[in-house]
Amino acid sequence: MLIGQKITKEYQGQEILKGVDIKVESGKITSLIGPSGSGKTTLIRALSMLDLPVSGEIILNKEKYKFPLQGNSIIKPWPKVSVVFQQLFLWPHLTLRENILLSLDDLKNSRDISELIDILQMGEFIDRYPNQVSLGQRQRAALARALALNPEYLLLDEITSALDVEQINIILNYLLVLRNKGMGILIVTHLLNFAQKASDNIVFLDSGKVIETGGSEILEKPQHERTKKFLSIVKQAT
Amino acid sequence: MTIWTIIITYRVALLAGLFVTLKLCLIIWFAGILVGAILGYLGSKYRREVGTPSRAVAFVLSGIPILVLLFWLHYPLQAMLRISIDPFFTAAFALSIINIFSVADLVRSALLNFPSQYNLAAKVCGLSPKTTFLKIEFPIILRQIIPSLLSLQVTMLQLTLFASLISVNEIFRVAQRINAIIYKPIEIYTALAIFFLIICLPLNGIALWLKHKYTRDISEN
Repeated sequence: MLIGQKITKEYQGQEILKGVDIKVESGKITSLIGPSGSGKTTLIRALSMLDLPVSGEIILNKEKYKFPLQGNSIIKPWPKVSVVFQQLFLWPHLTLRENILLSLDDLKNSRDISELIDILQMGEFIDRYPNQVSLGQRQRAALARALALNPEYLLLDEITSALDVEQINIILNYLLVLRNKGMGILIVTHLLNFAQKASDNIVFLDSGKVIETGGSEILEKPQHERTKKFLSIVKQAT
Repeated sequence: MTIWTIIITYRVALLAGLFVTLKLCLIIWFAGILVGAILGYLGSKYRREVGTPSRAVAFVLSGIPILVLLFWLHYPLQAMLRISIDPFFTAAFALSIINIFSVADLVRSALLNFPSQYNLAAKVCGLSPKTTFLKIEFPIILRQIIPSLLSLQVTMLQLTLFASLISVNEIFRVAQRINAIIYKPIEIYTALAIFFLIICLPLNGIALWLKHKYTRDISEN
C-alpha cells in the first residue's frame, strides 16, 4: 500500500497541501478530483517522492518515511511507483518506441512491448517522434512508457484530457485489467463518468485539504457543500 | 592575369598562408570547444565560484573590439613585460580566449536552461544517472548548442583575418603581399572571397539545417 499521512507542502511560503491523508491500495483505483490549484499535482509529486513533503509521513509497503527526513535517506521508489505527468514529458529526441524501450533497456528488462502497443492501439505511430503525433497519441505513449515498467503503483495526472471517448474507453478498460492484476492506481481526472466507472475510492481535494472521501457514490450524493458545488459545475460544463 | 593564373603562380605562398590560417583555426577551435565546454560545465555546476566570474570575463571581452585586444596583447603588453612572442601565438591566444568564453557561455546557458522535466521523467522511469546523462541530457543539449556552436566557429575562422594586422602570415596577409607585387586587387580579393565562401557557406548551411531540424525536435509539441 502507498499511504500519505498528514502531508504538507509549501511553495514560496504558501501552503499548497495542508495535512492531506491519502491511500493508494493495491488492486484498487483511487480517483483524485478537485478544482485547478487545489494541489492535486503537488500531491502526486509528494506521494511519489519526486518532491518531498515538508511534513507528514509516506508509507510505501514496508518502508516508512517521516518528513522532514532526519538522517535517513529515501530508497528510490521509482519505477515501483511510476507517474504519468499531465505534461507527459516524453523525451523529444527519441521516437515513442525508444521512449518506452529506454528504461526497459536500462533496467535490463527484456519485456516485449508489442502487446502494450496493440492494447493502446499505437501501432501506426509508435515509430514517430513526439512532435509528429497528436496530444492524445502522446498521452497513450506516456502511459505505455510507465506501464512497460510494470509498476506496483501508478499515479496518473490528467492523462485523458486529450483523448476521445473511444480512447478513454480503451484506457479505462485497460486500467481495470491492471487493477484486477493487483496494481494500485491513483488517477487525477475531471471526467466524472470515468471516475465513476473506474474508481474504488474517490478523494475530493480543495485548497490543499481533503474535503470528502468515499466510494463512487460521493459523485452522486456528495455530503460536503464544496463538493456539491464543484460537481454541479463540472456536470454543467460536460 | 586571371584569378587562376594568380593562384597557380603564387600557389606556394597561398598554400603556406592557407596552412597558417588552418593551423590558427584548429588551435582556436580545439581550445575553444574543449576548454569552453569544460568551463561552461563547471560554470553551470559551480555558479558562484566559476559561472559568475566566467560570465563577467565574457561580458568584459564582448566590450573590447578584437582588433584592440590583438594589438594590446601584441604591442603594449609585450613591451611592458619586455618580451617578444611570435605573433602567431599572440593571435592564437587572443582568439582562443574569445572562443573559450563564448563556447563556455553557450554550454552554461544550455545546461542551466535544460528542461528539468525530462530528468523528472527519467527519474520515475528508473533510469540511472549515467543513462540519464548519456541518453537524455547530452543528446538534447548537443542538439541545442550545435547550430550556435557551428556559427560561432565560422565567425572565429573569419576573425583569423585580423591576425594579418599583427603580421601573422595567414592567407589574407599573403594575399595582401601578392597584391603589393602585382596589384590585381579585384582578382586577388575575389579569389580570397571565393575561398572563404567555399569554407564558410557549407558550415553555415549545416548550422542552419541543424538549427531548423533540432529546434523543432526539441519541442515535444
